[in-house]
This record gives sequence, structure tokens and C-alpha cells, in this order.
Amino acid sequence: MDNAAKLSVIRARTRRRFVFTLITLLLYFSFILNWTASGDSLAGRLGMSHVTGSLLMFAVLIVTFILLELVFLLLNRATTRSGEEP
Amino acid sequence: MDAVAISMFLVFVLATLAISYWASRRTLSSQDFYTAGGQITGLQNGTAIAGDFMSAASFLGITGLMFLGGFDGLVLALGAFAAWPLLLFLLARRVRNLGSCTFVDVVSQRLERTRIRVVAAGGTIVVVVLYLIAQMVGAGKLIQLLFGLPYEVAVVAISVLVLAYVTFGGMLATTWVQIIKAILLLTGVTITAFMVMYLSSFSLENLLATAVVQHPRGERILAPGVLFDSPVQVATILVSMLFGTLGLPHILMRLFTVPDMHEAKKSAFYASLFMGYFYLALVIVGFGAVAFVYGNPAFFTAEGQLIGGSNMAAIHLATAVGGNLLTGFMSAVTFATILAVVAGLTVSGAAAISHDLYAEVLCKGAPDARRELQLTRLTTVVIGVIAVVLGILFQNENVAFIATMPMVVAASVNFPILFLSLYWSGLTTRGAIAGALVGLVSSVSLIVVGPQVWVSVLGFERALFPYDYPALFTLPLAVLVMSVVSWLDNSDRAAVDRRNYHSLLVRSEFGESGRPPPVARH
Repeated sequence: MDNAAKLSVIRARTRRRFVFTLITLLLYFSFILNWTASGDSLAGRLGMSHVTGSLLMFAVLIVTFILLELVFLLLNRATTRSGEEP
Repeated sequence: MDAVAISMFLVFVLATLAISYWASRRTLSSQDFYTAGGQITGLQNGTAIAGDFMSAASFLGITGLMFLGGFDGLVLALGAFAAWPLLLFLLARRVRNLGSCTFVDVVSQRLERTRIRVVAAGGTIVVVVLYLIAQMVGAGKLIQLLFGLPYEVAVVAISVLVLAYVTFGGMLATTWVQIIKAILLLTGVTITAFMVMYLSSFSLENLLATAVVQHPRGERILAPGVLFDSPVQVATILVSMLFGTLGLPHILMRLFTVPDMHEAKKSAFYASLFMGYFYLALVIVGFGAVAFVYGNPAFFTAEGQLIGGSNMAAIHLATAVGGNLLTGFMSAVTFATILAVVAGLTVSGAAAISHDLYAEVLCKGAPDARRELQLTRLTTVVIGVIAVVLGILFQNENVAFIATMPMVVAASVNFPILFLSLYWSGLTTRGAIAGALVGLVSSVSLIVVGPQVWVSVLGFERALFPYDYPALFTLPLAVLVMSVVSWLDNSDRAAVDRRNYHSLLVRSEFGESGRPPPVARH
């Protein structure tokens, strides 16, 4: 692989990295909404249950982060197998 | 002292000492000592990372915070967890491909090696020592409570055991101690959560309803606002925890214990999986502590205080739902937790001194292998002695601020140097050093004038700076200084630093096979 091709792969990988990082950071810092007036609705109970939107958000964020990692690894594997990347 | 706890503790100690003996026969070089010869698999390393990171502070501290304030305690759990996806996305491949023993190896690839190594190794030592003091003081007090041992005996016992693991077995023994501890901790948390759910008829609704009835703040514990009331305060914690974790030297060092970057990426994923499970289980354990400890007077003093303070809520919960057997198991697990974390810190501190400073700076990268290994073992003993001395010296201090500092310093010094050296071609040695020093001075200063030191330790009425975790301000400041000084840097060395970026970038992505000619040095 020549230098230009390597740089092109690096650019694609870096873009992918930053997209996943940006999604993670946006989701992560959205947790702060719980302490603001615009996030008031999150603090309320879901229907008749004692589970609040805030609690649900915590659990969903943890699961989403793990899924994002899984997708990232699968994408890496797919591009490696298809020969787009070494 | 409880007989069940003692027997479980003895089994753990004997098993881990046997592992250290086995590992000592395989630790023949300094490379073996620092990175277990790079032969740990992704799954093993991911478990060890989880074992290294899920400290007593995570388990006891977060459960204790949930016991006090319910939902708000989960801020620290999310902060501690979210660093792992970013470790995978941003750092795992590039760091593994570039370094050999420590993250300092990575940053010294394109910058002027002597100066940047001294600064980055200095950052590592500051973080390790502060983390070590917090762990030793916390551990001494905890073991005093759990096993009834005198504080000094507890601190010496921890240090002697850790020295036995690390001095003889190096990273290999440390890895296996961390793996065993992770399995024990996950088992203990699972059993406790299962018992809590069993007593709640396997209904989360019942558990939360009981917790609301028992807690003095009632329904407010299910929503934000009991412990933290300002979004900026929460943001300071989230920034410090996230970027601090990404700059912790003993965690980054674990990326070098696997054979290649594929295994390094798997490690980060497995670590996330285990920790995600752990923090989700803590939701049940935390609200379980509220539901089953608050209503039981056996866990409170005559003055109405929880015996041993809020950090003991998890242990009291084990007693409430599992009797002496589970209490003994969880006490032994807590001890194992402390040993595993202190062992990881000790290896990291030893590597900073004997590899980063002695081998790479003093010997210019060509040390005598036998002398380096001897020095590494000697350094380990010295760190063990320092840990005991500092642990005893700080025993009567409020160490909450010492526990805060390593995360803030790692976020404001180590992380920006590492991230910018990997992702920004314009970074120069002068910029990196200036930013690191500003990050270090500003983070320590703001912690000193913040509530934990200015009010709680020094006794002033009001803090000069309102937040405990200042990385929200010090991290951007460090990055700004690194950027501005690098932009203004017209030195010859700056030109070399910028030129080196391209070869570093290719090597960081393609590993050894894509390795270009060595980068230029002065």
C-alpha cells in the first residue's frame, strides 16, 4: 500500500473514530439535562411505576455505550475483511 | 474478627501468593516485569482492567453515595464508565501500536524525548503517589473496621502482600491478582443484587417502593437534586471522571500487556462489558442498601449514624440480605479489591521511575537489562515503603481531596499530552511542556482553594473556588496553552516535532509493518 492510500485509510478511520466519540460525548453530557429545568420531565415517574426517566436514562446510556463499542468493532472488522483497510 | 471473613481472606492470600511464585519464574526481564511479556489475551486483560479500575471507592463509595442521596450517586458511576468507549475509539489502537511499556513511550515518539519523558513521567508519579495515598488511607481504615486490625498493621499488611506480588511476579502476578479480584467482586455484587431482588420478590418496583418508604428524603431519592443541585457541579464531576480515567497511567499501561492492537481493542471492550454489568448491578445494590439498611437499627449508632459511615453501607447490606457468610465474603472481596488496585499502581510507579526515567532518560534507551530489572524491583520496594509511610502520616487527614487530585491531574496533564500528540500535527515539545505545567499547577491550586481543602481541611468559612473537581476548567486551559505555545513556537525543535507527526501517524495506524525510518531526533 502506498503512502497516499495509507493516508486515505487513516483519514477514514479517524473520521469514524471522531463520529463515535462525538456520539458518545453528546449522550454522556446529555445526562446533565437531569439537573436543568429543561430536563425536569426526566425526573418524573414513568406512569404508575417508581422508575423515573432519570433512572431509565442511566441504564439506557450504559447499554448504549456498550452497543456503540460493539458496532465500532464490527465496522472495523467489516472494513478489514472487505479489504478496504489492512 | 469474623471467622468466615478470615478463612476467605486466607484462601485468597494463599492463592495469590502461589500465583506470584508461579509468575516469578516467568518474569525474567524488565519487559516481562512491566507488561507480562505482552502475552495476556484480550479477555484476560479486559478482566484485569476491570479488576484494576473497580476499586473499593467504586463499590463502597458509589453504594454509600446512593445510600445517602439515591439517584445522584450514579453520577460517579456514569463518569467512571463512559471513559471505556472513548478508550476504545480514540486510544487503544494508536497507543498499543506506538508504545512498549508506558504511555510516556507514546508521547516521546515525536517530541524531544528527554524533556517530555521527564514531564510525563513526573505527571505519572504525581498521579500514582496521590492515588496510592488515597487507597492506603482508605484501605487502612476499612480493614480496621472490617477485621478489627490496628490501622498501622493494616497498612503494613497491605504493603507487604503487594510487594510480594509485584516484586517477584511483576505485571503477570498483578494481572492474575486483578483477574481473580474482578471475578470475586462481580460474584459478590451479583449475589448481593440477587438477594436484594429475592427479598423484593424479583420486582424492581417493589425494591424502589421500599427504598422510598425507608429513606428520610422519600421519593426525592429517585430523581436528581439530593446530593448535587447545579448542572455545572455535575459537569465538573463528569469531565474529571471521563478524561481523568483516560489519563490514568496504570490503566493505559495495561494496553501493552497484550500481543497486538486487536487484543488491545478487545481488552477495552471486555472491560466495558464487565464494568457496564457492575454499574448496572450497583443500581440494585445502592437502592437495596436504602431499602434494607435504613430500617434496621442494628446498623446505626445510638446517635443515629450509620456504623462506619456511609462507605460501609454495602457491607451492612451484605449482612442484612446474606448474613455472616455474605458479609465475610464481601469483606474478603473488599480486601482483594484494595490489594489489586495498589498492585497495579505500584507496577505503574516502578515503570515510571525505572523505565521512563532510568532506562530511557539516564541510559538513553540502552540500559543494562539485568541492572534495569534489579532497579525495577528495588523501586517497587521503595514505593511500598513510601506507601506505608504516607499512609500512616495521612491517617488522620481528610483524604477526600487526595482521592480527587489524581483524576483531575490525569485529566489536565496526561490526557491532553497523549491526545494531542496522537491527533494534532502542530503539537511541539515546548507547547506540551507549558500546557502540562499549567494543567498541573492550575488543577492542584483549584483543588486547594476548593471546598474540600479550603473549608474541610484548612477550616475557612467559604471556598474561593466552588467546585471539588476543577477539570472542567483546567483541562481546556491546558489544551489552550499547549495549542497557543505550539502555534507560537518557531524553534528548530518545533519543526522536527511537526515533521515527526506523519511517520508517527502511519505507525500508530499500521503498526510495525508500516514502520517508516526512525523519526528525527536532536
